[in-house]
Amino acid sequence: MTRRTLVLAGLITALVLATLASLALGAVKVPVSEVIDILLGKGHGGPNQQIIESLRLPRTVEALIVGAALGIAGAILQGALANPLASPDVIGVTAGSGFGAILIIILFPGSIALLPVGALSFGLLAATLVFVFAWSGRNKGSVGKVVLAGIGMLSLFTAATTGLLAAYPDRAPSAIFFIAGGLTSSGWEEMQTIWPYFAVGFIVALALIRPLDRLALGDDVAASLGSRPQLIRLGAGIAAALLAAASAAIAGLLGFLGLVVPHVVRMAGGSSSHTYVVPASAIGGAALLAAGDTLARTLRAPIEMPVGPFMVVLGVPLFLWLLRKAV
Amino acid sequence: MATDHKLLSAEGIEVELGGKQILRGAALELERGELVAIVGPNGAGKSTLVRAVAGIQALSAGRVCWSGRSLSGIRGRELSRLRAFVPQRMPVPAGIDVREAVTIGRSSHLRMLGRLTGADREAVDDSIARAGVGRFAERELTTLSGGELQRVQIAIGLAQEAPVLIADEPTSQLDLGATIGVAGLLRKLVTEHGLAVLLVVHDLALAMAIADRVVVVADGQTVASGEPEAVLTPERLAAVWGADARLTEHDGRTALHVAWLDTAIAVRAP
Repeated sequence: MTRRTLVLAGLITALVLATLASLALGAVKVPVSEVIDILLGKGHGGPNQQIIESLRLPRTVEALIVGAALGIAGAILQGALANPLASPDVIGVTAGSGFGAILIIILFPGSIALLPVGALSFGLLAATLVFVFAWSGRNKGSVGKVVLAGIGMLSLFTAATTGLLAAYPDRAPSAIFFIAGGLTSSGWEEMQTIWPYFAVGFIVALALIRPLDRLALGDDVAASLGSRPQLIRLGAGIAAALLAAASAAIAGLLGFLGLVVPHVVRMAGGSSSHTYVVPASAIGGAALLAAGDTLARTLRAPIEMPVGPFMVVLGVPLFLWLLRKAV
Repeated sequence: MATDHKLLSAEGIEVELGGKQILRGAALELERGELVAIVGPNGAGKSTLVRAVAGIQALSAGRVCWSGRSLSGIRGRELSRLRAFVPQRMPVPAGIDVREAVTIGRSSHLRMLGRLTGADREAVDDSIARAGVGRFAERELTTLSGGELQRVQIAIGLAQEAPVLIADEPTSQLDLGATIGVAGLLRKLVTEHGLAVLLVVHDLALAMAIADRVVVVADGQTVASGEPEAVLTPERLAAVWGADARLTEHDGRTALHVAWLDTAIAVRAP
């Protein structure tokens, strides 16, 4: 109990620090006290307030939401499939979203505003196909079928993406930023179309916390408790697909986060109870992405680098250090 | 609470799994405060039968009633309060301790995001005490022995606070000492706490020692039901298991005497 509380307290502290850093740092440095004043509505106008309100606040909020979404998506998929390797990649969402976005970037560069919609819709399409194949025929909804159907879809969409990039090599560079994963300072516009998908994903994930704990003790125990194991798995798959596809629409392909964050919080807290792992993964994912994004745009300012590689640089050493002590 | 209905009555149960008919017209009854052992050869359909009456396995035909109510109309948390199903061996996740696992067994009493009430905590403590797992309640599941884990599974079932506990071969992977412990626990739950227990078991001497009634399942049908001595006769052991064997009881000790190397009957068996 104490160890979990300690980890949660640490994660919340990291979250607050990362959020403040993300708001304060950038090409123009704003003192933290002024950032807090502006957040509390006590700003004095001027350029700093404008920078924070119209550029950094939307970007920071996006980082927090996407980080939390990917952390939760990984946590519930690993729980539902009882597989430590599960992540939104495995159910084909990431590859589908990648294809949808690259399709817009390469074939319709004039309608780049459609990129989030493309990423979202193809991500969900890929997940739908995985569910349709995994839930048909015998042994429907088994872990093996979901994972294998997911890997099939992953290969298919990755091949399609590679094909597109190879066919239009001159346009490929503009796709790099999306593939690497990164946030942009484009205000609230993207979030305005995408937020309902996040909302539904978060609510379903919240409702699944207790059923996932039952599932951890096996399908029979879950059934004894009146749950339907296949339904829990399907719900977790849908919520994870919504969260991951919506994340890709906002921030490109950041698959690493969903895989690693739940493991880190499990190892650090010494518990795999979903009442702990799901909220901790949300907080940890949000803190990690906000911190990574701040680094990515300040280290070589004014050049912005994609956050994906930075997050990996931040996260992998911690992950490996914890892994060393794990069984 | 007097009622005309039996706690459980099931008849004409048929189950098909992957195109194969596993149960063909099995029947089962259970009264309050009764320990019923379900015995039979491998593949006879014992586990499928208890899974079917528990609502975990879909029926292709037949009727299951719990206290007179049809199982088909009972779902979710209501089902969880009718019976607890204890599987043969549950997966053992890392990072979950015994108390957490038993608390998960209580979760069907909680609202979706509701917290544990004092009564729920009491029920968890009580289940831990009754199943005799208090000594290692704070240990992780991954550190337990087979016997300890089986008791934890029973504690998880008890936390459901259902009047019926269904245990599917709880002793099949345990050593003698652990088997005695689990058998004694199940008997105590019936005698002292008034639970009804459905126990799937291979060990006929164990069944004879602790069961009020024995139901024999063979080839997808229930072929006999009654007191252990009346049902587990040498003739039935020969007909159902193809064994030249008999059960004896003396001073509360039961034994199965088998002619291990006499193949004459085994050759005749189906």
